[in-house]
Amino acid sequence: MFRTALIRSVGAATAAASRATITRPAVARRVVSAIPSARFAPAQRLGAVRMYSAASGLKKEEVEGRIMGILSGFDKVNDPSNIKPTAHFANDLGLDSLDTVEVVMAIEEEFSIEIPDKDADAIHSVNQAVEYILNQPDAN
Amino acid sequence: MSTTTAIPAYRNLLRAARIAFQGDNRVLTAARISIRDGFRANASLTPSDPNLPGAIKHAQEVASILRQNVVQGKMEGEAYKLRIHKDTERGDNDTIKMPNGTKVKIDGKTCSDK
Repeated sequence: MFRTALIRSVGAATAAASRATITRPAVARRVVSAIPSARFAPAQRLGAVRMYSAASGLKKEEVEGRIMGILSGFDKVNDPSNIKPTAHFANDLGLDSLDTVEVVMAIEEEFSIEIPDKDADAIHSVNQAVEYILNQPDAN
Repeated sequence: MSTTTAIPAYRNLLRAARIAFQGDNRVLTAARISIRDGFRANASLTPSDPNLPGAIKHAQEVASILRQNVVQGKMEGEAYKLRIHKDTERGDNDTIKMPNGTKVKIDGKTCSDK
C-alpha cells in the first residue's frame, strides 16, 4: 500500500513536472530522495509482521497411539491385545533384543528423528519410548 | 549371542541399509529381511564362542560397504543420476586402486610434462 502511494505520488510529480518545466529540478530531487526510503520502509513493515509458527508439541496420547500402531503392525508381537501403554517389549510382548532394535528403528522413522545408541539401548517399553519422544523437540 | 557387541552391530547395519537404499522400499525390505536372517542364523553363538568376533566383524564390514560403496542411480533421460551422499567413498586417481587408504603417487607427472 505504501509502495502504491509512493508510485502514485511520483507519477503525479512527474506529470506536474511536465506541465511546469520550471519546477523540474526540485521534483527530480524529490524523486531521488524518495528512492532510499522506498527501499527501506517496506522492509521495516515486513519485519514487524513476520510471524513464526510455534513449536507444535506432540500430545502424549498421540505419541502413545502412534507407537502402539507401530507395534500392532509388527508381526513378532505375541498377542496384539497385549499392546498397552505400559507394555514391556520383552516381558509383555515377547520380543527379543533384536526385535527391540527393530521397533526402536521403526519409532525413529515414524517421528523423523535419530535416537543415539545409548538412548536407544535404554528404551525397553512403550512408556519409555513415549517419554523419550515427548522429550525430543524435533520429533514430529 | 553376546548382546553387548551384536546389538550395536545390528543397529549399525540397519542404519547403513537405510542410508544405502533410501526411498527404495523393495530393496530396503529385502535388505532388512536378509540382515535379520543373518543375525538369527548366528543367534545361538555364546559370548565365548570363537566364531563370534568374526561374525560381528562381518556385520560391521557389510555395514561399511553399504554406507560407502553402494550408490543409488536413477535413469533420467539417457543417463543415470547417482545419489552420492556424505558417506560415499570418494577416491581420486592416486588412491582409487589402493586398499585401506594407502596412498601412492602413480607417476608424479602432470599433463603439462612431456
